[in-house]
Amino acid sequence: MKTASRILGSAFFNEGYEVQDAPRYGAERRGAPIFAFVRADNKAIDERGVITHPDLVIVADDSLVTVPAAGVMQGLDEHAVLLINSHVSAETWQQRLNTKAQVLVLPIKDAMQNRAELPYVSAACVGAAARLLGMISQNALVRAIDEELSHLAADKINTNRTRAIEAFELMTTHENCIQQRPSVSALDYQQPEWVELPFEDARISAPTIHASLTSVEVKTGLWRTMRPVIEYDRCNHCWWICSSTCPHNVISVEDNSPVIDYDHCVGCLVCVAQCPPHAIKAISEAEAKQSAVEQAGETT
Amino acid sequence: MNETQFKRMKDLPTTHLLGTGAPMCAGCGGLQAINDIYDVLGEKTVFINAAGCMTLLSIYPFTPFRGSWLYTAMASAPAGAQGVRDALDILLAKKKITPDENLTTVVLAGDGSTSGMGLSATSAAIDRNLDFIYICYDNEGYGNTGQQYSSATPHAARTSTSTGSAGFSGFKKDLFAIWAAHKPTYVATVIGAEPLDLARKIETAASLTGPRFIISLSPCPTGWGFDPQETTYIGKLAVKTGIWPLKEYKDGKVSHTKNPHVRVPVEDYLLTQARFKHLFEPKRNDKLIDEIQSKVDAYWAGITP
Repeated sequence: MKTASRILGSAFFNEGYEVQDAPRYGAERRGAPIFAFVRADNKAIDERGVITHPDLVIVADDSLVTVPAAGVMQGLDEHAVLLINSHVSAETWQQRLNTKAQVLVLPIKDAMQNRAELPYVSAACVGAAARLLGMISQNALVRAIDEELSHLAADKINTNRTRAIEAFELMTTHENCIQQRPSVSALDYQQPEWVELPFEDARISAPTIHASLTSVEVKTGLWRTMRPVIEYDRCNHCWWICSSTCPHNVISVEDNSPVIDYDHCVGCLVCVAQCPPHAIKAISEAEAKQSAVEQAGETT
Repeated sequence: MNETQFKRMKDLPTTHLLGTGAPMCAGCGGLQAINDIYDVLGEKTVFINAAGCMTLLSIYPFTPFRGSWLYTAMASAPAGAQGVRDALDILLAKKKITPDENLTTVVLAGDGSTSGMGLSATSAAIDRNLDFIYICYDNEGYGNTGQQYSSATPHAARTSTSTGSAGFSGFKKDLFAIWAAHKPTYVATVIGAEPLDLARKIETAASLTGPRFIISLSPCPTGWGFDPQETTYIGKLAVKTGIWPLKEYKDGKVSHTKNPHVRVPVEDYLLTQARFKHLFEPKRNDKLIDEIQSKVDAYWAGITP
C-alpha cells in the first residue's frame, strides 16, 4: 500500500499537481493493517499530517472493514467515495455499512486466489483510483508505475501495468466521480476530539494486564486468505506433526485427531505443506464462505 | 544422556500453553519455536522480553501468556531477569511465596538484541551466575523494523541495509561459541521444525540451574522472502544442509544432537529464499555459493560424529 500511494502520488505529479504521499504503519509484519495517504492540489498544499476527511478511501482487503483498528470508515461523509476490493457487490456493502458515502467495488479477479498474485492488488487499486479521480491519464499512470517500480524485474513491472490498466478501464463508468474539496486554511482547523487523560499514579496508568490468555479475544482468523481443511478420512492421526509445528498454536488434539481453530488460524498453510498423507488441503476463503452459504441453504 | 520423557514424536505435548491470537506474521518460525518451548517449560514461567518482534506478543490489553511478562529495552533483558529473579528469591526467603509458587525466569530476545547491544548484559549475567534461561529467536536480522542486517545475518544475504549484488559482507556471529566460552550451565541450538530435539533440550535446560541459553534459528517469511507455508520445510533444510547445526554444550563439552550423514548442498537452502536470489539471478555467483558451501564443509570437517 505504501508503494500504491507512491505510484498514485507520482501519477498526480506527472500531471502537474502538487503532491504529498505518506504511509503510516506500526510493526512491519504481514497481516498488519497499513494505511497510506495521498494529497494532491493544483496549488501548493499547506495542510500536513493524516487525512481526516478523505475524498476517496480505497480498501485493498475487504476483511479490514470489520477490523476496528483499521478504521476504514473514519471521516467518510456524503462527498466521499469508498472503493472496496471485494467479491461482494457494491449494493451489499452500501447496505451493510449504512454510509452516506458512495460505495464502489473493485471486483477481485479469480487470479487473486493465488497468493503470488496478491502484491498486484496495489497496482489495481491505483489504476482504479486514477480513473475515479479523472485527473490522471493512462499515460501518466503507466509512467508512474515504471518510475516507482524500476527496481523490479521487467515481467513484474509488466504485470503491475496490466493490472493497473485493467482496473483503470473497469472504472470508466465512474470516471470523475470524486469532487475536489475547497482548500483548507489553518484558520478552519478543527481540533481533533482528543481524549484527555489525567495524570495518574503509575499503578493505575501503567499498561498492566491482570488476566492471562486475553489474546484469544483477537480473532486473527480474519487475516486468512487461504483456509487449511483437514480431510479426516485421509488423516493418519500423526497430530504431533501438524499440531507441534503450527506456528500459531491453532491445531489442538481432540480424541487423537487434529482440530483447527478457525477463529485464530491465520492461514500460513505450514500444516498443508507438512502433512505426510496430504490430508490437509488449502481452499480460498471466498470458496469456503461460498460453500458455507450453500450448506446453510441446503439445511433450511 | 538423562532419561527423557520425549522419546518419540508421540510424546510431545498435546496441549499448548501459549494463547492464540498473537499478531505475529503468518508462518513465523520464531513463534513456532516459542510455542513448543513454552509447552515444555510450563505455566510457572515469567518472560522478560527485550524489544523485538516478540514484543508484539503482548499488546495491551492482550497477552497470550498464562503468567507474567515484562518488557525491557533491547540491551537490558538479562538485567531485567536479574531483578525479577532477585525479587522472587527475596519473596521466597521471606516466605511470602511458597517454593511451589516459584517461577522460572526466562529471557526472550531476538538476534539483534542478543548478539548486538544485549551481549554485554548477558555476559555480566553469566558472571553473576544468574539462574535463568535465555531464549534467542534468531531470524538473522532486525525483522520487526524491515529486516535490516544484524550481526547474526549470514554472509551474502540481502537485507534492507545490504542491497548490493554481494549482499551482507559480514559473517554471522557465532553466538553459541561466545556463550559457551563463558562456561554457563547449558547452551543449545534448536529449531521449531525439529520439535522433538527442541523438547529434549528445553527439558534438559529446565532440569538445571544457573545461566542456560537456547538459540533458535527462526525462518522468517517476511524478512527472508518465502511463502509462509515453507517455514518448516526451510527449517528442516537448514539442518539437513548443515547450515544450522543442532548441538548442545553441557558439563564443558559440546555434542551434536543431529548429525546429517549426507549433507544436502547449501544451494538447496539458498534457493528457497528471496534474500539469496541475487546469488542465482541474473547471473549465478559461483564464487559466493562455493564460499558458503566451503564454510559449512569446514565446520563439519572438525566434528566427529
